[in-house]
Amino acid sequence: MPSEPLLPLELIDKCVGSKIWVLMNGGKEFVGKLLGFDDYVNMVLTDVTEIDPIEGKTQLVKILLNGNNICMMIPGGDGEEVWEE
Amino acid sequence: MSTPEQEAKPLENGEGEGGDPSGFLTDILGSDVTVKLNSGIVFTGTLQSVDGYMNIALEGAREYLDGYAVRQYGDSFIRGNNVSYISAGKSPNLKN
Amino acid sequence: MEEKDEGGHAEPLDLVRLCLDEVVVVRLRGNRELKGRLHAYDSHCNLVLGEVEETIYIVEEEEEDEQSHVRIVKKQSEMLFVRGDSVVLIAPAEGIQDLRS
Repeated sequence: MPSEPLLPLELIDKCVGSKIWVLMNGGKEFVGKLLGFDDYVNMVLTDVTEIDPIEGKTQLVKILLNGNNICMMIPGGDGEEVWEE
Repeated sequence: MSTPEQEAKPLENGEGEGGDPSGFLTDILGSDVTVKLNSGIVFTGTLQSVDGYMNIALEGAREYLDGYAVRQYGDSFIRGNNVSYISAGKSPNLKN
Repeated sequence: MEEKDEGGHAEPLDLVRLCLDEVVVVRLRGNRELKGRLHAYDSHCNLVLGEVEETIYIVEEEEEDEQSHVRIVKKQSEMLFVRGDSVVLIAPAEGIQDLRS
């Protein structure tokens, strides 16, 4: 039996309860546990690290992230830099 | 748009209490919040209301630039398109 | 979804409605600010303001000493229309305090 294609929102739904890495349009990133989301992909995240390329890291307990500026999200990612010279 | 054989999907996806966006907003209504705008400006205050555009009404709002308080408002309306996130509680790395 | 908690507003735009005919401060994109009497608004935050003072904060980078100065330009107008998409914040002018020392 051919498997059904996984819709983008279904992929996000699979991530509910686990850690995700969210990349924003401006270059900012968020890492945290996904508690829920809506049709606009506004997301509720907990135990969040906000990573600003200039300001650095900020810890946040629980946030509602506006879906408007989300560029990409990666399940399970932790935003650690892996680049090496 | 959906066909009968498709499983009816819930509009919100979360773990119940405070999990989905609207549940979270209901939970934090009337409490202290931190709102960060895309421009980097941060506001704290008591959350009076939020609508579907993420427009926000804050009571006793305080504006922070680079972590320092610059202005105090009685009430304030923030247009939703500028909002990056709404965080429960007051962010710890804000001065005064 | 919206609940009316005691003393609160059913929705954020109610706060703007309460500002009608009052003097408001409007923060705009691009380091601009308006102060004037709110005559009208709509759901896009398009606004009509009267007896307006516009303040523009221009950050000037000094090349030699790396210090940046903020130049302030003020303009007056009798009546103006603000397109909603440039609005960041609307607040009643009464009750605003400067906290910079």
